[in-house]
Amino acid sequence: MLIDKKTAKKVLSQLLGSGGQFGEIFTQRKVSNNIRLDDNKIENASSGFEVGCGLRLIYKDSTYYAYIDSIEEAKLLESAKILRAAVNNSNINKPLALNDSYSSYNVNILKHPDGIAPEIKKELLLNVNKTARNKSENIFQVTAALSDTEEEVLIANSEGVFSKDFYVKTFLAVSIIAVKGTEVRTGYKSLAKARGFELFEEKKPQEVAAEAADMAINMLDAINAPVGILPVVIGPGFGGVIFHEACGHGLEADAIVKNASVFKDKLGCRIASEIVNAIDDSTLPYHWGSYKFDGEGSPSQRNVLIENGILKSYLLDRKASKKLSLPLTGNGRRQSYRDIPFPRMSNTFINTGSEKPELIIGSIKKGIYAKEFSGGQVDPATGDFVFGISEGYMIENGKLGSPIKGASLIGNGPEILDKIEAIGNDLDYSPGFCGKNGQSITNEVGQPTIKISAITVGGTGA
Amino acid sequence: MVDLLKQKNKKSDTELARKISLFIDKSKIDEYEIYISNSIDNEIEIFGGEVESLSYSDSKGIGIRVFKEKKIGYSYVSSFEENKIRDCIEKAVQNSKITNEEAINGLPLKNEYRYEKGSDIEKYLYNEDFFKASIEDKIELSKNLERKAKGKDKRISGVDSLNYSDNFSEVTMLNSFGFEGTYRNTSSFLFLNIISKDKGDTSTGFSFSYERDPQKLDLEKIAEDASNKSLMLLGSKKIKSVSSDILLDSLVASQFLGVIASILTADSVQKGKSLFKDKIGEKIFSKNINIFDNGIMKEGFSSKPFDGEGVNKGNTQIFKDGILKTFLYDCYTARKDKTLSTGNAVRASYKSTPSVGVSNFYLEPYLSHSFENILKSIDEGFYVIDIIGLHSGANPITGDISVGAKGLWIKNGCFDFPVKEVTIATDILSFCKKIESVGNDLKFFPSGGFIGSPSLHIKDITISGI
Repeated sequence: MLIDKKTAKKVLSQLLGSGGQFGEIFTQRKVSNNIRLDDNKIENASSGFEVGCGLRLIYKDSTYYAYIDSIEEAKLLESAKILRAAVNNSNINKPLALNDSYSSYNVNILKHPDGIAPEIKKELLLNVNKTARNKSENIFQVTAALSDTEEEVLIANSEGVFSKDFYVKTFLAVSIIAVKGTEVRTGYKSLAKARGFELFEEKKPQEVAAEAADMAINMLDAINAPVGILPVVIGPGFGGVIFHEACGHGLEADAIVKNASVFKDKLGCRIASEIVNAIDDSTLPYHWGSYKFDGEGSPSQRNVLIENGILKSYLLDRKASKKLSLPLTGNGRRQSYRDIPFPRMSNTFINTGSEKPELIIGSIKKGIYAKEFSGGQVDPATGDFVFGISEGYMIENGKLGSPIKGASLIGNGPEILDKIEAIGNDLDYSPGFCGKNGQSITNEVGQPTIKISAITVGGTGA
Repeated sequence: MVDLLKQKNKKSDTELARKISLFIDKSKIDEYEIYISNSIDNEIEIFGGEVESLSYSDSKGIGIRVFKEKKIGYSYVSSFEENKIRDCIEKAVQNSKITNEEAINGLPLKNEYRYEKGSDIEKYLYNEDFFKASIEDKIELSKNLERKAKGKDKRISGVDSLNYSDNFSEVTMLNSFGFEGTYRNTSSFLFLNIISKDKGDTSTGFSFSYERDPQKLDLEKIAEDASNKSLMLLGSKKIKSVSSDILLDSLVASQFLGVIASILTADSVQKGKSLFKDKIGEKIFSKNINIFDNGIMKEGFSSKPFDGEGVNKGNTQIFKDGILKTFLYDCYTARKDKTLSTGNAVRASYKSTPSVGVSNFYLEPYLSHSFENILKSIDEGFYVIDIIGLHSGANPITGDISVGAKGLWIKNGCFDFPVKEVTIATDILSFCKKIESVGNDLKFFPSGGFIGSPSLHIKDITISGI
């Protein structure tokens, strides 16, 4: 137990002592391990231990926040006293009695990664290296990183929330460089789950290595990407990053409150083609973006964002929920006790459709198949976005053709959502990290194969 | 809100570092290094004339690096409790058991430093006046910026984000070869992104400023830059795909330069991840371009007296008249290339092990070339005001760059109309070859280190539109 109810109550009373309207304690203890292989050797092994507490006080529309690297009662009380000096209101609220929060999200961790011997982790990475290098003589460099964290979180607030959570996360990433003549291409794959080392029983590290290697090898024969407007098929899994960037961020309610989103005042309106159904679900067991409680102690839940093209919900934290008078969605997340929570996605995906992926590709005479992206960026105020394609192919007469390099897709979120013409039956997910306002959190993107009727492709070819 | 003076007058952590070294069982390890950082941060976010959020932190941490039989282990801890520190040391020792044994692993020796300790950079990193601004002053300054920005033009519909942040930090290092060092740093940063709307079109524009003392932040200039950028782009249209000259705004040019900087570290070169491998002595730029990594620049926000493993920092010229002269080194990569460390071991925080990175990395301006003169010399081209997607659109290993861009079309040396939703694509080596002219308006962009470039005129780049 990080802190008990008695301590929590004392600190919350101290916090509200100058008339603040909402007080919160976020305590966290975290152990982490990172091992990195590069250039055929284990280059680095690092471990960390952090413990600390973030205190939040809200008065009117202002949030006051402080954190310390300690969870000792005396230090928490001292910090609460410093923080409350920011508020001066004679109407003093008392914190409500604390009650254990309930969440339906329950998982069972079998192999705690902090307990796995470093030698076993080392072997895993050496195997990844060997597997990737054995794929082809063109494999030039392999970099692989294995990291795991185990963290305990306890959140208590003046409205009676007392939420306890324990997260275990394991992450393997493999980067490959392949070289043939003067051509240099890269490949990347990751495997990440909110679970222990048993994740490698479901999928072998060697499979991840092989997929990353294949990607780099396939791209060695890439031709320059074409330029101009073309139909584009986006592959399942990581292709969902396009929805995450082009739409998801605009649905995060802090952007709505600030009038900085193209989706403001659009609840109940059609914002996408009728075949689009999109979901944010933080309850998918063991998924990378799942949790029991969000960073404010609200239980995780499944939220329908878009149903048959109609906007159904935003992603909210407590502050936006009060401001917009909309129910909580369990999306108030934060990187650590050092950070103020705000609305974030969890596992966000376009839901499965009915079409066969090969028929979707088959329907295009000339276009592009974007299988993997290196990421993307969006300006939520305008909806303009850009995505870099890391593995892509030409589509010629309904068939996949040459791989293409140096391609990016540029467009506008709302316009693209309307141009989704077909959705496949092959929903898949892909883990990653999302950065916003300097905070990085875990989440998953996802989608089946989808077809966009027209989008600008930026390359250097003809 | 917090007693900064108490912090200012606090003794350095050298005593603590010495105490920690006593906890280390010298029979279990051969060499060790202790890194302690203390940091006080304030962040203020203003929205709608009010404080949206205000946060304060006082954080600290210890990173311990050990070498045993030429193998490295690392561990960090955010607590100063003795038993936690002892656990941290033990974890570092355990970690050293699985890393690779290499003869060149180990702490830097004095004769491996390229630069003598000659600068007095410490005194420029830290400004006593920093402590004179109260939290109320900083709130007022931020609110003032919002008012200034909104008052610039009727078409400015709001502020997307307005963030003030400042930092006072102290770094202390000690190693078993007798190195002891400490330095203090103050910085304040103000960032503004505004939204303009006109006739159904929306555009955004950002600007920012850094100072050692918050009272020196030029609010008028930040408001002016952000509103100009945003207003200039209103009513922008898409254009047909074309190959054309481009003129990169200095902040955009700095971001491109950042991609180039990332593959000039000896680490990326030695691992075969750099296009510049085997290119020392070659002319990479067609023009006489000079590029420096200056770790002891007075006005540089990445300046420090010593690097992440205690080696003196200095000023390294990487390109001279367009010719590649050297890479950037830490101690390990320098031993590998049988040269000296340029003092480029960087640590993002106490949580990270040292790795090779840039400090204040910049392309030297051509003092006689003003932006206006370069603009006038372009018959037809694209002035790029902002780019998006550089992180995902640039692959420093393959050299491919493809990013989204917005800006103004240039005709007969003048701005013609605003342009949006295009991409510009090139590769690093062609980009270097195609630089036609360099401006005199050097600006720095924070990304990893501090990267600076003047405006750049680039010939013949593929622009992808409709």
